[in-house]
Amino acid sequence: MISKTAIDHLVEKLGNENVLHEKEDLLTLGYDSTPGVHHLPEVVVYPTSSEQLIAAMEIAQREGLPLTPRGSGTGLSGGSVPVRGGMVVTLTRMNRILEIDEENLTATAEAGVITLDLFNAVAEKGLFYPPDPGSQKISTLGGNVAENAGGLRGLKYGVTRDYVMQLKGVLPDRSLIATGGKSVKDVAGYGFKDLLVGSEGTLGIITEITVKLIPPPQDKRTILAYFNDVRTAGEAVSRIIAAKIIPSTMEIMDRATINCVEDYVKIGLPREMAALLLIEVDGHPAPVAEEADGVRRILEQVKAAEVHVAKDADHAASLAAARRTALSALARVSPTTLLEDATVPRSRLAETFGEIERLGGKYKLKVGTFGHAGDGNLHPTVLCDERDHDEMERAHAFYNELYEKVLAWGGTVSGEHGIGLAKKEYLARQVGPGGVQVMKRIKQAFDPEGILNPGKIFEEKDPGTKQHVEEGFRVSH
Amino acid sequence: MSATDKKNLQGNFKPQDAPQYADVLQCMRCGFCLPTCPTYALTGRERSNPRGRVALARAVAEEKLEFTPAVMEEAFFCLDCRACTTACPSGVRAGEVMEICRSQAHAFYPLGKVGKAFREFVLEKMVVSPDRLEKSMIPTRLYQRLGIQWLVRHLRVLKLGPDWMEKAEGMLPDLEKPLRPQLPDVVPAKGEKRGRVGFFLGCVMTLMYPNVSRNTVRVLAHQGFDVVTPKETKCCGAPHLSEGDRETARQLAQFNLDLFLAKDIDYIVTDCAGCGAALKEYEEMLEGRAEQDKLALFRSKIRDISEFLVEVGLRTEGLKEVRTSVTYHEPCHLCHAQGISKQPREIIRKIPGVELREMNESSWCCGSAATWGLKYSDDSKKVLDRKLDNVAATGADYLVTGNPGCHLQLAWGLREREMPQSVLHLIELLGRATPED
Repeated sequence: MISKTAIDHLVEKLGNENVLHEKEDLLTLGYDSTPGVHHLPEVVVYPTSSEQLIAAMEIAQREGLPLTPRGSGTGLSGGSVPVRGGMVVTLTRMNRILEIDEENLTATAEAGVITLDLFNAVAEKGLFYPPDPGSQKISTLGGNVAENAGGLRGLKYGVTRDYVMQLKGVLPDRSLIATGGKSVKDVAGYGFKDLLVGSEGTLGIITEITVKLIPPPQDKRTILAYFNDVRTAGEAVSRIIAAKIIPSTMEIMDRATINCVEDYVKIGLPREMAALLLIEVDGHPAPVAEEADGVRRILEQVKAAEVHVAKDADHAASLAAARRTALSALARVSPTTLLEDATVPRSRLAETFGEIERLGGKYKLKVGTFGHAGDGNLHPTVLCDERDHDEMERAHAFYNELYEKVLAWGGTVSGEHGIGLAKKEYLARQVGPGGVQVMKRIKQAFDPEGILNPGKIFEEKDPGTKQHVEEGFRVSH
Repeated sequence: MSATDKKNLQGNFKPQDAPQYADVLQCMRCGFCLPTCPTYALTGRERSNPRGRVALARAVAEEKLEFTPAVMEEAFFCLDCRACTTACPSGVRAGEVMEICRSQAHAFYPLGKVGKAFREFVLEKMVVSPDRLEKSMIPTRLYQRLGIQWLVRHLRVLKLGPDWMEKAEGMLPDLEKPLRPQLPDVVPAKGEKRGRVGFFLGCVMTLMYPNVSRNTVRVLAHQGFDVVTPKETKCCGAPHLSEGDRETARQLAQFNLDLFLAKDIDYIVTDCAGCGAALKEYEEMLEGRAEQDKLALFRSKIRDISEFLVEVGLRTEGLKEVRTSVTYHEPCHLCHAQGISKQPREIIRKIPGVELREMNESSWCCGSAATWGLKYSDDSKKVLDRKLDNVAATGADYLVTGNPGCHLQLAWGLREREMPQSVLHLIELLGRATPED
């Protein structure tokens, strides 16, 4: 348990408002959006500068507290859950946009800047920051980098990693690190920057990020297609890609998702359809028109039930906004929503849908599926009740079997949510014991004492220890 | 997991008026509510946002936390603006959970003798009886003085903010005579008759904004409706819900329900967003206490004035031109609690000569929130300043809204900042366009 003296020291260094240790605060800073994981930290700090961060880390070390970095807590694999208690380091008060460099087309911001705020700030200067995770209104840039977040525009524009040019942060030994820069090319030594992106807060605490910006597309068409069965939708996606058309967005929702989303947004989505695809092509006007025609032709060839074109920009925006609410809207149906992040090569999309359908039937589960179809990245979501043990077991078996197939098809257990607490055993299956060993050695090199975000990605020490679930969370007071 | 297996987990809550466990379990912690919460914008503290507050309620239900003073504090620090309800794709109603926690607060931390007497005096004697309220308001200034002195002596029990008195006095508009005794029981429709409506005249409207509600009745009649205003109408119960006195609220609801259902009317219309939101909640408040079909019938008749006029179609022939520009502030209890956002704008656009200039964040709370603005006067000022900055940027002549709480707060803020705008209720604006007969 953290000592009174340590709290006093923290308050002295960071200020009273930036140190929280009342039980009510600890209770609300030990979760993210991942169901079933909740652990209490012993203290939570909100550094407003690197100096304060280092001071807090020093006190944590004296007290023997592990550190868990946190942004807005919208993660979906438990990355910011303090599974070993200790100190949660929340970066939301380091939230200044430091520079928008119009000569080099870069923006530099502190880790706690909200993703959409950065998007809007650069848009005002006529520039474009493409990564747009579903939680962009809430999530922080630091969290996006730590989890290598994807988004709706991943298909054409890539994910967070593709835009990170420089990172500054603090390593577990409290040394400052700056890696990368504004140079477009940089092959000097190991690519630490790329190692830190997606490291889930296990290698260093990122405090400042420089991202690449691009000119925004001049034109955009939004197409909405409805299908009588999900597999046809999957086939349409594969055919569009095979026709060498790369839309900026190609999102799918199945019937369960359509209905939940429509319950919330009420914009007239087709409740009776088995699936819908939301497709956006963007770029210069001439190719956009051509690609939109191409997409429509393919949709007709595969016999989509209906094809609609968004009336105007507002309509298109309302459709994208509706898609962003999919996961949370599914939570209407049941108390617990177990979400997965299976990703397959796009040619396997139709088969994956078939498999999800089959397994949902086999394990008698209610499943809603949505996702970034163009990326082969699906979010089959089991709608269940964590109080029903039998159902939870079946859900586990469902994912287990699904991942077996996904891996056999050359897919991955996580397209964009990360491993965190939720998927450690699946990672080992995907990368094998050798792969996990290498990851552990890298972790050792950065964090020999294992103080930074312990318990994530893989088991450091005792693989036999089960993580505590919600009702057993650690109470330190 | 034995405790959590139960369907209706009460845990460390008191049995009377405990939040439903299913309602808190519904939150999947996605955080979509975070950017919409004014108190989170003020503190940046997770427990002061809807996701955090629901997590606290869940912890109490799961016996991981007692109903601590901090939980009570969060229940009252919540503005109950319901912006989180609008933002929540999962259908969690964090504001309502907090409202219920307020009644828990009274069960856990009873007020001292004096505080209790005062609260009862206000909530059970004054507010429930329109007659008493109105009579007491007649020697207005004198009463205000006395009343305020009385309040000052008991300031500590109310836990009001430091400058609340100055603010409360500054907020009061110039009071006219209360409207209720002046209104005829029935005002007949003009022109082609389209129906017969009951007018729910709210307490604050009759006392502080008689001119607004006078216009409401006049506009309704001009639009072709007989307007029935039952004199016996009692308080809608909103102040009681807000302060956590759910029992008195239920009694008031039962009375109003019976009163209006006995009248021969097609609709029940109100010009107060706070009343409208409460009236639409009677169905839930009285569940199990009144017959379901009566509750459903009552619910089906309730309309906010803007909602009503758009639904029946605003008759625009004969409307006079009003050459002015306005911006619209959405009352939380209209846009978030009732989902009414487009209708007031539609009416503004239909008034000849009026230009609507949209402000940024029009649905962000103004910081009034019943007595919140007096309890947390510093925080309220910050929320208000954000609103007024957005108003100023429009450069509009008038600030239009539709709820007396917002009206008081905004008018006070505009005066304090010496801004050129004045506040109009939507119906006052429409009243200016409506010919006298």
